[in-house]
Amino acid sequence: MLTVLFKKEWKANYKIFLIFIAVLTLYTSVIVAMFDPKLGESLNAMKESMPQIFAAFGMTDPGLTMLDFLTNYLYGFIFIVIPFIYIIIMCHRLMSRYIDKGSMAYLLATPHTRTKVMMTQLGVLLSGLIMLIVYAVLLIIGCSTMLFDETIELGKFLMTNVGLLSIQMFFACICYLCACCFNEIKFSIGIGAGIGVASILIQMLSQVSDKMEFLKYMTPLTLFDAKGLQSFEQSAVIGMVVLFLVSIAAIIFAQVCFKKRDLPL
Amino acid sequence: MGVIEINHITKDYGNKRGIFDVSFTVEKGEVLGFLGPNGSGKTTTIRQLMGFIKPDQGEVKILGLDCFEKANLVQKELGYLPGEIAFMEEMTGFEFIKFIAQMKNIKDMSKAEELMTFLELDARGKMKRMSKGMKQKIGLVIAFMQDSPILILDEPTSGLDPLMQNKFIELIQRSKKEGKTILMSSHIFEEVEHTCDRVVMIKEGSIVATETMENLKKNRQKHYEIHFNKEEDAIKFAEHYVHCQRDRNQVILTLKGRTNELLKDLSQYDIKDFNARPQSLEELFLHYYGGGQ
Repeated sequence: MLTVLFKKEWKANYKIFLIFIAVLTLYTSVIVAMFDPKLGESLNAMKESMPQIFAAFGMTDPGLTMLDFLTNYLYGFIFIVIPFIYIIIMCHRLMSRYIDKGSMAYLLATPHTRTKVMMTQLGVLLSGLIMLIVYAVLLIIGCSTMLFDETIELGKFLMTNVGLLSIQMFFACICYLCACCFNEIKFSIGIGAGIGVASILIQMLSQVSDKMEFLKYMTPLTLFDAKGLQSFEQSAVIGMVVLFLVSIAAIIFAQVCFKKRDLPL
Repeated sequence: MGVIEINHITKDYGNKRGIFDVSFTVEKGEVLGFLGPNGSGKTTTIRQLMGFIKPDQGEVKILGLDCFEKANLVQKELGYLPGEIAFMEEMTGFEFIKFIAQMKNIKDMSKAEELMTFLELDARGKMKRMSKGMKQKIGLVIAFMQDSPILILDEPTSGLDPLMQNKFIELIQRSKKEGKTILMSSHIFEEVEHTCDRVVMIKEGSIVATETMENLKKNRQKHYEIHFNKEEDAIKFAEHYVHCQRDRNQVILTLKGRTNELLKDLSQYDIKDFNARPQSLEELFLHYYGGGQ
């Protein structure tokens, strides 16, 4: 890890990070505030009137506890999409842009190996992602204790977030792998972003009706099973572990590819 | 053993683009000019020296180290000026210089400051707003500030005004006195002429000539443009010189030496205008590439 580069990148990108923090704060606090133990019933009624739309965004069962409510409203869509957008933007800023414009030449014209440079940039990406998730966790705990007497079940809640981290790590590492392996933005960002967007769309489709349910086997998002994680189901835990393992594999591939390839600098 | 060794490297991009079986060495303390028209493969060769790309065949070594595999070790001894300017635009010039200095583990910034004063560079502004010349100066500061024993400069004077080009020549001459090994690519003869010991010429990816500067100067011809007052004088004059072109009362002539003879001849005619200039690099190239079209 190159401390100088790590610091420089955070200095250049903290504003973007703060924007995402702001967006997360807005959505999370609004949704937490919306929770009302009695509201569950009326939301259930609403869901019955338009089940497909609710289902598309992963809100199958608004539930009665705070955790069920948040799992449906935040972990189904918002917490997937917002960090994912952050990942795309940062992959562009940390890697694709430097290769595409040629300023990577300056980073490599220093007595450091390519591996070190590339791992540092990955460190910037992942540290930002982890901080976003940690922030969301703290925010939810803070909001829920401030607004309601009911405290969230901490163990289950944290497990959900480790799961969230696994799926976001997966997206981050796949996107970063593409950013390291391709020269042109249309591939280096296009492929990573494409995989993510397609995953999200396929999941939305698969939730709409039983006929489309088979589609869920085509998206990595299925491996993140928030409800399963909360009841510590074995399949859900395995899914999460698989996501982490694939992430690590993607990092290794990215390192090998970036080290060996010709760069257009 | 040369400081920079290029042994039979080939990098084929298809469509005759790339470089083919290129070999040359740069000895310690030598300033080598790497000349060639645009797209001839100068930058491709330099990219391999920098370890950005791997040759398909052959090997490139600096200080005996493979340029691709050991790029990080090579870079310790290297100052580099890229041919294309691509900075991190959101930074100010000074921030960027400082950042690269830290990346290169340079503790002492006095050399960088000295260079900025010498090049009259005010690097306080955002690089996004800088002119090409200013960016080029920042690149030069970064390449020289390390005080490294080897310098690789890709078209170092592009974007600089004539005054700055002279300062650059001074900079190279100073570095040469300090015993540095320098490889610089160029397509401008003058900057090479005043700085280099030896010149390697490349065309369409292949080396066409390696000459000492001394020999090159010796072989360099003069280009004359003579306007006669009367067309019949021009015709008469043109008959004496085989390698000349006549257009009405104007004669264009390239000659090596024979200055006295020419002046004596011309004194017999009524001359309207007379221009003499050294042969340009392109014309010299034509000579090396086999006598022009």
